[in-house]
Amino acid sequence: MIHSKTLLVALCLLLLSSTAQALPAEDIIKRVEDNLNGETAYLQLTMVVQTKRSKRTMKMESWSKGAKKSFIRITYPGKDQGITFLKIENAMWQYVPRIERTIKIPASMMLQSWMGSDFTNDDLVRESSISEDYLAELQGEDETGYLIDLQAREEAPVVWGRIRMHVSRNYYLPTTVRYYDEDGQLVRILEYLEVQRYGERFYPSRWLMLPQSPDKAGHQTEVIIEDAVFDEEIDEAYFSKRALKRFSQ
Amino acid sequence: MIFIHFALRNIRAYAARSLVTILLLSLTTAMLVFATAFMDGSHDKMLSNAVEIYPGYIQITHRDFRAKPSLDRLIFDVEAVARAVEATPGIAAAAPRFETFVLFAADEKAVGGMLSGVDFAAERRLSRLASSRTAGLYPEEDDSNQLYLGYELARRLQVEVGEQLAFVGTGADYSFAADNLVVAGIFRTGLFDFDATAAFVGKDYFDRVMAAANYASHFIVLPEDPRAADQVAAALNDRLDSDYVAESWRTTMEGLVQAMLVDSIFGYLTLAVIFIVIFFVVLIYTWLTVFARMREIGVLRALGTRPGQILQMLLAESVLLALVSVVLGGLIGAGLAWYFYLHPITLAMSEEVFKQYGLAASSMPTTFAPLLILRDMAVMFVLAVLSTLYPIIKANRLRPMEAMHHV
Repeated sequence: MIHSKTLLVALCLLLLSSTAQALPAEDIIKRVEDNLNGETAYLQLTMVVQTKRSKRTMKMESWSKGAKKSFIRITYPGKDQGITFLKIENAMWQYVPRIERTIKIPASMMLQSWMGSDFTNDDLVRESSISEDYLAELQGEDETGYLIDLQAREEAPVVWGRIRMHVSRNYYLPTTVRYYDEDGQLVRILEYLEVQRYGERFYPSRWLMLPQSPDKAGHQTEVIIEDAVFDEEIDEAYFSKRALKRFSQ
Repeated sequence: MIFIHFALRNIRAYAARSLVTILLLSLTTAMLVFATAFMDGSHDKMLSNAVEIYPGYIQITHRDFRAKPSLDRLIFDVEAVARAVEATPGIAAAAPRFETFVLFAADEKAVGGMLSGVDFAAERRLSRLASSRTAGLYPEEDDSNQLYLGYELARRLQVEVGEQLAFVGTGADYSFAADNLVVAGIFRTGLFDFDATAAFVGKDYFDRVMAAANYASHFIVLPEDPRAADQVAAALNDRLDSDYVAESWRTTMEGLVQAMLVDSIFGYLTLAVIFIVIFFVVLIYTWLTVFARMREIGVLRALGTRPGQILQMLLAESVLLALVSVVLGGLIGAGLAWYFYLHPITLAMSEEVFKQYGLAASSMPTTFAPLLILRDMAVMFVLAVLSTLYPIIKANRLRPMEAMHHV
């Protein structure tokens, strides 16, 4: 009897284990996106932009709802304080208090640097649609995580030809993301480091963007999450064009 | 000498034939000389237009800037470069420029473009920006937010002189930069892409808002003699820091130079086709005229004139006719080249349009290069003599009796 019970437990464990292994790559990516975005998120961030010649620090606040809506306000340095960004779906606006204007970022400028960092405007708009724009394939896994290969769908209007993402098994959060252009050339590496608990949610508290092209040698951008609140109600007023000026100060 | 005497006598004796040959060859020579002068002249004009509008004869940049423009590959010590420029002989004017891509916005809609900080006074000599003005004023102050805007860019932004627009971009230190600008003037060079993207502010103002003091993306140098651009660039390289390089327009505008070369090759190929046609026309005409004189050649042979002597006589005729024709045609062609060098050909239909661009690009002067004219005359001379060789040799091979019975 004991023998048959042991056999049953072993069978169950085996089944559970095979279910976990069979988790499709698409589902892993979906979970990663959900974990990164949350239903809502409020973040306080510090961005340190290092170039060959200088090092700059910016501070900002960010409000987001899912993957589609987000609002960013620069709080430091003083000369940039009050600059706001609004993203709704794939569109992006910017308000600059110094010139008292709201500007819609044109599609042609999406690959330009965002605030002089190694992130682009496109990163703010498209990053969240990986599960829609890429075909995911599980390339390997070990006790720490998964290696997912993401190939751009033919019809998808995306910048990267291919993305390779390491995902931690513990948190279903990315650890290293490698971005390749359409020729298969590695362009940049984004590392998500130091997962911390914010309320009920685990979240990487340091992001490190490392450009790989030779002309960007010596450049890197570090994002430090100073504080984060997830899944709490965010006023819908943040996600309108009027908010750009209204919440600028 | 006797052959020349006979040749001259024959030329006079067959005056109508000689006149037709001279007309045919001299017109062809004049056409070649003029076509070459026009082709070279229009290419020179197009190149000088393209160089002088904005890019300049010599550019000094960071060694890797042209291959991969970046804020990490700027000229980081404008004053040191200026000292090297001053110490180099043969330079008429020079000034730094700083170009960067920004977003221009007159309302919510933004348009990407190139904002450049320039020394407006120096640019009067270095480029044709000032003479390309179509509205408003050419800015004089280098430390104000007065903007000099490309015509097409102004049209896209829907702004006019006196109106305000804003820019947002990245400063030289990668910081965020933005400010309001006032449109002082609008220019139109005729280069659509340039007019649709370029806008200029004073360098002092630019340096302040873009954190670019003592920085430049490049230095523009105008040599006293533009033809010596390569030599002046080499002299500059001897004096510049190894991080920087001076390059003449032949390098910076390599694409255009190559395009002109290809155009020249196609031009010469077209001329070559025309020459082949002319070669055969002269050959057939000579054939007909030589064979019309076959009876005379037969009589000469029967009287004991050797084939070699007849060959020399006929060749002397051919050479004399070719010489007269080529000299006459060369003089006509050179005259035309000289006249249109002084009074460029204007494309009347497009004149008004071109005038808007301030370029007078509708006028295409020819070149007047004596060496080129002599070369073309020599080519025509050789071609004319060669085209008569075959009929002369063929006629000379006939036996006297055959020749005398030739009808």
